[in-house]
Amino acid sequence: MAKYILKRIGLSIVTLLVLTTIVFVLVRLMPGDPFSSDKMTPEIRANMEAYYGLDKSLPEQYITYMNNLLHGDLGYSMKYVNQSVNRIIADAFPYSADLGIRALIFAVIFGVTLGVVASLNRGKKLDAVCIIIAIIGTSIPDFIMGSLLQYFFGIRWGLLPVAQYTSVAHTILPSIAVGFYTLAMVSRLMRASMLEVVTSDYTKTAKAKGLSKWRITIKHQIRNAIMPVVTVLGPLVASVLTGTFVIEALFAIPGLGKHYVQSISNNDYTLVLGMTIFFGAFLILMNLVVDILYGIIDPRIRLSGKGK
Amino acid sequence: MKKRLLAVFLTAAMTVTLMAGCGVPGGSSDEGDSEGLKRVTYSLREEPPTLDPQLMNSIPSATAAIHTCAGLTRNVEGEIRGDGAEDWEVSDDGLVYTFHLRDGLKWSDGEDLTAEDYVYGIQRLMDPATASTYSFLGAILKNGNAVNAGEMEVSELGVTAPDESTVEITLEHPATYFTAMTAMSQFCPARQDLVEEYGQDYAADPDKAAYSGPFVVSEWKHGDEIVLAKNDQYWDKDSINLDEIVLKTVADAKTGVAMWEEGELDITEVPTEMTDQYADQSEFVFDGANDYLALNMSEGRILQNKNLRLALNYAVNREEYIQLATNGVYEPNTRYVLPDVNGSEEGTNYGEEFPYEAFPVAGDVDQAKEYLNAAMSELGYSDPSEVVIELLTTDTDLAKKQAEVLQDQIQEALGITIEIRQVTYKQRLEMEADKDFDMVFTGWVPDYPDAYSYLELWLTDGSYNHTSYSNPEYDELVIGSQTETDPKARAEMLFQAEQIFLQDAGVVPLQLRRIQLLVNDNIENFNVYFVGYNYNLVYADIKE
Repeated sequence: MAKYILKRIGLSIVTLLVLTTIVFVLVRLMPGDPFSSDKMTPEIRANMEAYYGLDKSLPEQYITYMNNLLHGDLGYSMKYVNQSVNRIIADAFPYSADLGIRALIFAVIFGVTLGVVASLNRGKKLDAVCIIIAIIGTSIPDFIMGSLLQYFFGIRWGLLPVAQYTSVAHTILPSIAVGFYTLAMVSRLMRASMLEVVTSDYTKTAKAKGLSKWRITIKHQIRNAIMPVVTVLGPLVASVLTGTFVIEALFAIPGLGKHYVQSISNNDYTLVLGMTIFFGAFLILMNLVVDILYGIIDPRIRLSGKGK
Repeated sequence: MKKRLLAVFLTAAMTVTLMAGCGVPGGSSDEGDSEGLKRVTYSLREEPPTLDPQLMNSIPSATAAIHTCAGLTRNVEGEIRGDGAEDWEVSDDGLVYTFHLRDGLKWSDGEDLTAEDYVYGIQRLMDPATASTYSFLGAILKNGNAVNAGEMEVSELGVTAPDESTVEITLEHPATYFTAMTAMSQFCPARQDLVEEYGQDYAADPDKAAYSGPFVVSEWKHGDEIVLAKNDQYWDKDSINLDEIVLKTVADAKTGVAMWEEGELDITEVPTEMTDQYADQSEFVFDGANDYLALNMSEGRILQNKNLRLALNYAVNREEYIQLATNGVYEPNTRYVLPDVNGSEEGTNYGEEFPYEAFPVAGDVDQAKEYLNAAMSELGYSDPSEVVIELLTTDTDLAKKQAEVLQDQIQEALGITIEIRQVTYKQRLEMEADKDFDMVFTGWVPDYPDAYSYLELWLTDGSYNHTSYSNPEYDELVIGSQTETDPKARAEMLFQAEQIFLQDAGVVPLQLRRIQLLVNDNIENFNVYFVGYNYNLVYADIKE
């Protein structure tokens, strides 16, 4: 197991290096440059390029950047001139992560429950209700979901704050807006795989042993049926925790989301690179965690390290 | 073993859940102690990218800066008052400005604010090592361009401090609008000791800068809000009524309106899709942006043909365009210089002094067709459908709508083909600079309230002249206006130049942008100005 994890970590670092290199070249191929503005003159542009080292050759810039990266320094943003990329991420990530964790907890708890309830009531009214919720969740885009929540709970009924992120009450609507799609997806996955499990031999065995219905569902069925959910959860955690552009904008949450989009439209080279590296590292890490979790949840695919 | 692992995992999951349940990052805990404070909260679509006065290059930054900086002068709705300077003299040739500072000026941290700090601020702006995008403002200073290009030492800049309370500034050419420029953040004083101590982090946090203006930055939650608090060291603190101003970043304007409804914002902008709903409660204010189609007159380009340019100008029905494309929020415009810039006398404006409508606001299709026919015979086309012009614009929804309305109007009126090309903003700028377009939807926001700010653009060798417009008569008038010391004669020269430019159909003027604002009724003395900043709450107050 340890050997496997080490190998995976090594591979992850290589992946990150390749990713960084590709993005380093790609950002420079984008049309425009960080300094173009309505009022840019060639002389001022020359000053800017010298200041950010963009007047040097690309390999030279690359070596400088990689060297700084090894020291954990992502450089200064070219748009937010006084802020380092490290700092921008450190300031914004806690908001995105907080929102993402809440959304995930909401999505997984309700998604799994809905899926299980639906599968146990297959073909009945309750199943139909669960399916409708799942369809709504997958087909309504998050910004519409967010606007509807804002309108009804915030403006119309005045139950919850419409925007910002300053207290627990403020987190409820955006968490639901972010988590709803995931909830729908999880419930559908869960329902499908539960239906398979329900007819399996070990379920029959468990029934034959005379175990209670609850015990069978919780101990035998959910445990087995949850695997597909865990599989999608890895990349999902990475994407949900690192910020959502639309919902964060809608609820005025100072998270990371906007930087993915704006850094590119601003041609903010350092910020684009920093965000990519951060997101890439997070995604790779989450996939690793999922691989390890597989082994914990399902002994059948536990890595054979023990025997060897 | 298996069970234990599962237990550990579940415990971890529960801990995370619990932690998540206890408050949020950066959650505010000071709700209680704000009772009785006079505070105004307003929304910005985008966080000010920087609060470093010399590095500022956007309206959100400049808006923050007018509250935290004491320039030599202060601009209050176009009226220029002394701020750091009590008064000033101008030499007879209009080239040397001598500013006399007030006694006992202090920085917010209690240090003395001296003439040296003002000189250092301006030198810093022009120092190539600072790499300020706004250093072009200093081209007006003696040796400004040479210093910025690294050809001269910073000390050779025409800005000196003969003594502790005098700042002497020498210009390249006379400029009646110069005292409006000294009110801009880029000309604000800077603290050499702090700049050297913090380097690129200068002004990145409230404690990494000192402030000279009526307010200080007391808190900056990046991406979220900036809190400005009254500066007790400011010389005119008795005229300042507010205790706090909060600049809240709200990216979505609809959310801003909802927050305004909830009482969480005092001032916010209304998006165009909500215009009608809030029309009665709103204030409409010009923000200084003037949009037009710039026409590429370079060798070999179809719009080198003047008659074709005129045909476009007559084909556009600006009244209808404004209704369709902007919901009637913007103002149709048929001239080039913003009418609100200063006239030749104190308190007058250029538009009233020189009324002018270069093209009929509702267009004139017959006239347009005549020009088109003339153009076609000059260019050797026999059928209008052979004429194809590309319209370059950005990739936003609004830009698309605007371009489509224009496309429709011009095609309908003239029977020619307009092809819309949408690219990113940065790409548009690059293509503009490379003169790689036929016509481009663009505009200009002035840096000082004078017609020259618009007209210098189209000088033959102007830095921003991307259309190859060149008319010796125009150049002579615009350049000549710089040395003309009689304000009336100078203004007339500029007006003449504007007329020549429009008779040449240098651009297709379209619109003056307006912002629709929701402002709480209890706020007094809030104003919006179109040059250098937007919202001014310096002297604002809250009615009891």
